[in-house]
Amino acid sequence: MTLERADRLRVLARLLFIQATLHRKGMQNIGVMHALDAVAPKVSRDPIGLLARHADHFNTNPNAAPIVVGGILRIEEGGSAGAPASIERFKQAACSALAAMGDVMVVGGLKPLALTLAVVSAIYSFFAGLVAIVVLYNVALLAGRAWGLSFGYARGWGVVDAFTGPRVQRVVMIARVLAALAGGVLIAVLARAAFTEGIAHLALLAVATALAWLAIRRGWNPARLAIALFPLVVVVAVLVK
Amino acid sequence: MSDVLLIALLAGLLAIDDRAGWQSLLGEPVISSLIIGALLGNVDAALNVGIVLQFAWLSIGAARGTRRPNTVVGGVVGAGATSLVLARTGDPRETVVIAAGVLMGLLAAEAGAVIARAAGELRERWLGNVRLSATHEVASRNLTVTVIGAALFVGFADFLTTLILLPIATGLSDLVVARLGAGAATGATWWLVCVSAIGVASIVRAFSTRVLVRFLAVGVAAVLLAGWLR
Repeated sequence: MTLERADRLRVLARLLFIQATLHRKGMQNIGVMHALDAVAPKVSRDPIGLLARHADHFNTNPNAAPIVVGGILRIEEGGSAGAPASIERFKQAACSALAAMGDVMVVGGLKPLALTLAVVSAIYSFFAGLVAIVVLYNVALLAGRAWGLSFGYARGWGVVDAFTGPRVQRVVMIARVLAALAGGVLIAVLARAAFTEGIAHLALLAVATALAWLAIRRGWNPARLAIALFPLVVVVAVLVK
Repeated sequence: MSDVLLIALLAGLLAIDDRAGWQSLLGEPVISSLIIGALLGNVDAALNVGIVLQFAWLSIGAARGTRRPNTVVGGVVGAGATSLVLARTGDPRETVVIAAGVLMGLLAAEAGAVIARAAGELRERWLGNVRLSATHEVASRNLTVTVIGAALFVGFADFLTTLILLPIATGLSDLVVARLGAGAATGATWWLVCVSAIGVASIVRAFSTRVLVRFLAVGVAAVLLAGWLR
């Protein structure tokens, strides 16, 4: 292993901005090349050749990208001799496996969990809790990315096998379960707040939730639905008054 | 004007974090509204706008890559317009001002998405034509310039969008609040409940699998039980 901790940190810092150059044609390829460029002269005698090998399409969850990039660095270090397949094949397999995992884990678990707890803290004007949630979320995200880069660099080709096993599914499920629990807490907090305003408020919340659920299920845009509801609700309220 | 400039600058920075950086949550309405409230000296009203907007946009969190509203601009404009209107008029009907702020936030997010798409096309053309240079030194420099430039582009687009939309949203909020009469407070409260209900429906929909719905129910039961025991 030729890359030291400081080298990996430089790669990690550049990977934090992998989304900056996201575009339809190559997706994250420029961000990946920029990250690899930080250590390219150390990994290969032909740094421009190394970058050219990774100029093609690259697309995965940004939180999982460090694992793939770590794997790429290890494979590039070792050279193509004795490799089970081409590095393009590795990127395809790792990117698709990790994109699904990253989406479910972060977008479907960790982020909703953090946002739900943040909203609960905000409802109770618990500002310290709000700040703590943001700090903890970022620590988890950054630590996860740093671990991912080290893990990918240590495993190389083994990355693909490591992320298709049942253990990963369990971790993803735990994140989803925690997010569901937090979601339940938020619903109950909102229902209690509506109940303290009166039974009519609680009934309105229940009816509006049922209608919104139907609308979302039919693929309607909930934000546009909210905009459309504004004049209607105000007119009804004025008429009722 | 300096407040508008400050908020627009903040929107630009938050956009860099949200769409070019690692999405630290600072760009989410519930957090950005707290920052704006603290900057403009009206934390409670701004935070209420942020909470309701967060509810409205909870369902789009899972929709990676879809045509989603520009929540950074929406959150900032909504909270900013509310704080500015309250600071200027001191209207005692805070719920009405908050509802107007939420409406402006939702509208600004839709308008912001249209502007971001137009700006995104320019960016696409630029990034799609980026080629590696023949020498490593030049290639290295070009890649760094491209990444920094692309991040700044995202930030500048949202800075400019906010700079344009915030004064319009503040003016419209003023107008809506002034025009709404006696029943407005009730209507505004009802509407805010309806928007919050969208968030509840989004949560139920997101966790409506056979396993997860049980944990959702456990969460609800735990809070209700704790409240009853107290």
